Amino acid sequence: MTLNLKIALIVITLIYLSLILRKIKNKKLQISFSTFWLVSGVLLIIAIATPNLIEYITKALGFEIPANMLFCITIFVAFYLIFNLTVKLSKEAQKNTALVQEISLLKKRVEKLENDQNK
Amino acid sequence: MKKMKILLIIPAYNEEENVLKVYNTIKDYNKNAENKLDYVFINDGSKDNTLKLLQENNINHVNLIHNLGIGGAVQTGYKYAFENNYDIAIQFDGDGQHDINYVQKICQPIIDGQVNMCIGTRYLDKSSSEFQSTFMRRLGKNIISFLIKLLCKKKITDPTSGFRAVDKKVIEIFAHDYPTEYPEPESTVKIVNAGYKVTEVPVSMNERTGGKSSINIWKSVDYMIKVSLAVILDSISFSKKGGTK
Repeated sequence: MTLNLKIALIVITLIYLSLILRKIKNKKLQISFSTFWLVSGVLLIIAIATPNLIEYITKALGFEIPANMLFCITIFVAFYLIFNLTVKLSKEAQKNTALVQEISLLKKRVEKLENDQNK
Repeated sequence: MKKMKILLIIPAYNEEENVLKVYNTIKDYNKNAENKLDYVFINDGSKDNTLKLLQENNINHVNLIHNLGIGGAVQTGYKYAFENNYDIAIQFDGDGQHDINYVQKICQPIIDGQVNMCIGTRYLDKSSSEFQSTFMRRLGKNIISFLIKLLCKKKITDPTSGFRAVDKKVIEIFAHDYPTEYPEPESTVKIVNAGYKVTEVPVSMNERTGGKSSINIWKSVDYMIKVSLAVILDSISFSKKGGTK
């Protein structure tokens, strides 16, 4: 990896990190959801800065080349994330259903009370 | 015997053609009936004039602020029944498929205190039913029925029938926890597995008098797979809980 490429990659990653921080500041991303993205940014910088570390891990885990290991890990993490999201989505859908039901029933009760009062 | 408070839960999604018909059949029925039926329409976020019709004609209804699908709509009905302390709740289709003259028949086993849930079944008596539905639907029903027989050791001929009555205890259960995705078969399994008594009575159903049925082949296959999964998982988790009791 040439020095220029290294610097470029680190700059891109720093931009990525600052974008995440801005989203958090603007309340568009909840802090509880942000850890993954922040940690991923930091890990990227470490990986770019220390190619030797990546080589070492690749050998230790028994991969042929670093690219294989990185793709493999990335795909696993991506799958895990997507699965987690569908779980969270299901939970939210259930809560949403319960809310719609409660609000609709409450509206009905309020209307009935108002009608009774007007009589 | 004290009089039972009976509620018809009528989910309605884009049923402007049927709402008034169903409402009128209930009104006509109540003119002659001893035990009058209460009803509540659940307008499931219809995009047509269903809500307007309900409001203009002063028909008792709950208006869901978003579309929830049939399961979510029916559960709203059970919640309503629970809040208003009904003894029996009957799920009654808003598209005119169910015949109100069978309501008494479906309620009777519950009024007699024999069972907690009574399903109106199309297939028990071939001759009494003009509308037997298509081959595919029957096949699907048989598969689900077989699964339930296998897992719960209980014969339910028509687990997808939406025409069903439940007693107070089951109303409470459904109000708090109702499988909103594949409601009919899953809820039946749930009740059977929880040790409540379920029975079936033969009914005949009308063809839809208006509107469109929402069933096609891929949806049916998808439905079959997911319902089977739901039925299997329900049985497994229940048997585990049963073991730790």
